[in-house]
Amino acid sequence: MTSPVPNRSIATDPRPSGPPTVKTLAERVMVRETRVAFGPVAKSLSGDPLRPASWQVLGDEFLLRGEGDHYFHYRLGEGITIERGHDADLSEEALWLNGTVYAAIASLNGLLPIHASAVALEEHVFAFTGPAGAGKSTLVAALGDRGLPMFCDDTLVLDLSDPDRIICLPGHKRMKLTPGALQLTGATREKQVSRTVDKCYASPQAGDVGVALPLARLIFLEVGERPEITPITGSERFVRMQDDHQTAHLFAAARQFDRAGSFAHLSRLARQIVMARFARPHDVGRFAAGVAMVEQYITEVATEWDQEQQP
Amino acid sequence: MTAITKLRDRFTEADIDHEIVIMRLDNGEFFSLSGTAAATWRLIDGRRDRHALAAAANAEFDGSECEINADIDEFLVRLRETGLLAGG
Repeated sequence: MTSPVPNRSIATDPRPSGPPTVKTLAERVMVRETRVAFGPVAKSLSGDPLRPASWQVLGDEFLLRGEGDHYFHYRLGEGITIERGHDADLSEEALWLNGTVYAAIASLNGLLPIHASAVALEEHVFAFTGPAGAGKSTLVAALGDRGLPMFCDDTLVLDLSDPDRIICLPGHKRMKLTPGALQLTGATREKQVSRTVDKCYASPQAGDVGVALPLARLIFLEVGERPEITPITGSERFVRMQDDHQTAHLFAAARQFDRAGSFAHLSRLARQIVMARFARPHDVGRFAAGVAMVEQYITEVATEWDQEQQP
Repeated sequence: MTAITKLRDRFTEADIDHEIVIMRLDNGEFFSLSGTAAATWRLIDGRRDRHALAAAANAEFDGSECEINADIDEFLVRLRETGLLAGG
C-alpha cells in the first residue's frame, strides 16, 4: 500500500478554533483510522470482480468501488487509500468517504453505524431513524429552527464498548436537505451536494454538537393519519433492530457474527435502547404541528431526568 | 410423568422488557413469548413435570383450573413441536 501524499482525515467539519473538548477512545480511533492517502489498490478482495457502487469485506479489509474506476481501500490500522481512475467522479468522492467507507471503518473497529439523524438536548441524543425519504434530516433541521442543535445527519455511530450504556459519536457529515426540505424548514441553503444528488448542504440553525453523548431515544419515523408518538416495547424492539439498511449489512459483514452472536448483539440493543415511533401524515400543512409534538416529547423526557436527579 | 426440560443446546433466548425472545439456532427462527406464555416458560425449570407445572401455573395465574390446564397442555404441545422442549 503506497502513501504518496500527506495524510488527512475524513472529517468534513474540523473545529480548530472551538472550545477544547475531550474525545473518547472511539472518537480517536475513528480520526486515526479515517486518514486518507492516494495510490493504487487491489481491485478485489475475494477474487470476484467488484461491480461499480459495490463493496467487499474480507477479514480486516474493506474495498469499495464507486462509479467507474474509483476505488476506496481500508485496512485496520492502515487507514484509507483511494485510487482515482480516469473516469472517477470526484464530485462523489466525499459522499463515498463519509457514507459507506466511514460506516465500514466504524464496523471493522467494533462501532455500530445506524441509519439515523439526531439532535441533542441536556447532554443526551435523540435520534430519528427510518428508510431513505422518511424525513430524518428534515425533522432535525426543523428542530434546529426551534433551538435544538444537530448531533448527526444520516449516520449515527454507536460505541458499544461500555456494557452499561450506549454512547453516540458526534456526526461527521454535514446536513444535506432536498429543495423541499429547505423550503419547509427555513434552513440556509449552501452548495449542491454533487452533480447527481438533488440535495444541498445546509447549516443547522442551532449549530451542532461535537462531543460524544449517551443515546436517550431512538425514534422511528412512520406515516400515520395523525401525529402521534408511542413507545416501542418488548420483542418489537428486537425486530426493529433488524435494520435492513446498508449500515447493518456492513456491520454484520465486518463482525462476522454467527447466529448466536447476532442474536446476542440484537438483544443487547433491544434491551438498552429506549425506542418510540413518531407517526404523522405526509402533509406539509401539518408538518409544524408534528415538529412541535416531537419537541415537546423530547423536552418532557429531559424534564423527567431533571426531576429524577433532584434530591 | 417426567420432568419437562428445555433443550438449551437448540436455542438462545433474551428477556426484553417483560417479553422473552427465543431463536432456534439451527434455522434462525424467532419466537416471542409474552404474558402467561412468558411466565409459563419461566416456570419450566427442568424439575417440574406436567402436573407440577400446571399446579404452579394455577397458583400464579387468574382463571379457572380447567382453562389454565388446557392452555398449559396446548402451550407444551406447541413448544415440543418447535423442538424446544423434551419430557412431560
